[in-house]
Amino acid sequence: MTSMTPGTAEFLLAFADDEHLMGQQHTEWIGVAPFLEEDMAFASIAQDELSHAALLYAIVADNGQGSPPDDRAIDALAFDRSAADYRSAQIVEVACTGWAHALVRHWLYDTAEELRWSLVEDSGLEPLKDAAAHAAREERFHVRHADGLIDVLLQAPDSADRLADAVRDLLPLATGLFDPAPGEAEAIEAGIASAPFDTVLPEWTDRVRARFPDIDIGTISAPAFASRTQRHGDFPALLARMNRVRGLDPTAVW
Amino acid sequence: MGRTWSSMDDFEAFLNDGGMVEVDDDMPDEYRTAVFRFIELHANSELMGGLTERDWIPMTPGLRHKMAVLAKSQDEIGHGHLLYMVAADLGVKTRREMLEDLFAGRSRFHNVFHYKVRTWGDQVAICLLVDGAAVPSQKAVYKDCSYGPYKRILKRILAEEGFHLRLGEERVLRIAEGTDAQRAMFQQSIDDWWWPALRLFGPDSKPNDRLARWRLKSEKNEVMRAGWVQKFVPMLHSYGFTIPDPGLTHDAQTDTWTCGPIDWEPLKRTMAMDGPDTARRIAEASAAWETTRWVRDALDAAPAGAVA
Repeated sequence: MTSMTPGTAEFLLAFADDEHLMGQQHTEWIGVAPFLEEDMAFASIAQDELSHAALLYAIVADNGQGSPPDDRAIDALAFDRSAADYRSAQIVEVACTGWAHALVRHWLYDTAEELRWSLVEDSGLEPLKDAAAHAAREERFHVRHADGLIDVLLQAPDSADRLADAVRDLLPLATGLFDPAPGEAEAIEAGIASAPFDTVLPEWTDRVRARFPDIDIGTISAPAFASRTQRHGDFPALLARMNRVRGLDPTAVW
Repeated sequence: MGRTWSSMDDFEAFLNDGGMVEVDDDMPDEYRTAVFRFIELHANSELMGGLTERDWIPMTPGLRHKMAVLAKSQDEIGHGHLLYMVAADLGVKTRREMLEDLFAGRSRFHNVFHYKVRTWGDQVAICLLVDGAAVPSQKAVYKDCSYGPYKRILKRILAEEGFHLRLGEERVLRIAEGTDAQRAMFQQSIDDWWWPALRLFGPDSKPNDRLARWRLKSEKNEVMRAGWVQKFVPMLHSYGFTIPDPGLTHDAQTDTWTCGPIDWEPLKRTMAMDGPDTARRIAEASAAWETTRWVRDALDAAPAGAVA
């Protein structure tokens, strides 16, 4: 059994935080999507992302031993840390107020996550290896869902323009996903991940260009700042919203 | 075209014999319209139920808890989706026409979704009291429903609603065993949602109700309402909560609870689309529908086969 260190725990928390906050963001679109099938799709995808987050937080909570901790231990990691302790990328922290942005973020994120899970599919940490087998299959469906809509929306001038605006707005934040998470080198050294996440940035970039061939997106590179330790301006409101009920009574079990 | 009937008497004799109507039957226009309106109201209510609960989903306390309420919301909107398809097959309105009528305030939805969810306690109260009223109502329709496509969809809906009700019961139990703050919040929610949920069953059924004769209803409103009171009064009392009904009585010999006089004015106002939260609810739904119109327009304009 591969053991956990503070560094590898940090590495997994960054992964978990991304999945958690992506799922959280999707919950905002249920009931207000363009049609009923999309309401249901976002509800379903949100559940998947939150379940991936729960799997990852559980690994951290029980120190990689594979004995599932109770929900309170998972929720303590998911909700009770200070803003400075989150390790999420800013693409999952930013509030998307329009459907085009929500859809483009969904595609950019899930395309990256499909590659990210592949880096831990042979992990020496058994619970993570199991989680990867489960999550990778779902991420492929997520990408296929977004592709189905984008295929059509790129064909009409008005909707193609809206998607192009969203791609240009979100791409700088999305590249922050590849910003090395604290503890990544330690996780690779321990056999928890096979390679740094940014080694798949070129492949992701190729997929972005192939997906949006008519959009001039310039050079794509990893951000020049340590994005995972700096919260986006929308984060405080997001965290407050997530904790609105939990914060009513810290001793309560809901 | 399926079966035809020479007259309404002939058709009603078919229904009296337990006959099941299918979508391709040449059913009388009065029956077609009545079935359509019934299912459209049900579909609208499932969707508005999902919208009523959606406001609080992002604030759900806990990851797994959030996954459960997301699944519930997905079910509710999924029920609306299935019901709109069944209703659209009747040829009276398309799904889009039904949705646009709903978002323009031209068609109705159940009274309980004209109220605002103000606290997490309200969210849980809906899951218990409203779903607890929806299940017996839908069971009563399913039991002897004469319209085949509706009956088959109701079977699935009822299975899922049963899960929702158990989710509600589990959540209430946690609150009942919880802190003073949790209990106080939920008592307020009972006070606010008890009567709207009770009024969901409607006034006492009229004799010779056409919908009963046509087997779209198989139970009287007052019987279902009495069953709901009998179920939830003892449950909530056992958790130490009070019922906001000064006229509530208990027959010790039969161990039966009976509610006091019911004020029907709030129900009438919701039926006139003038409930406490009707205007905001419709305005928000309508605004969301309009701001995403460009997506539907692009899909409509796409060549056949382009949509995967």
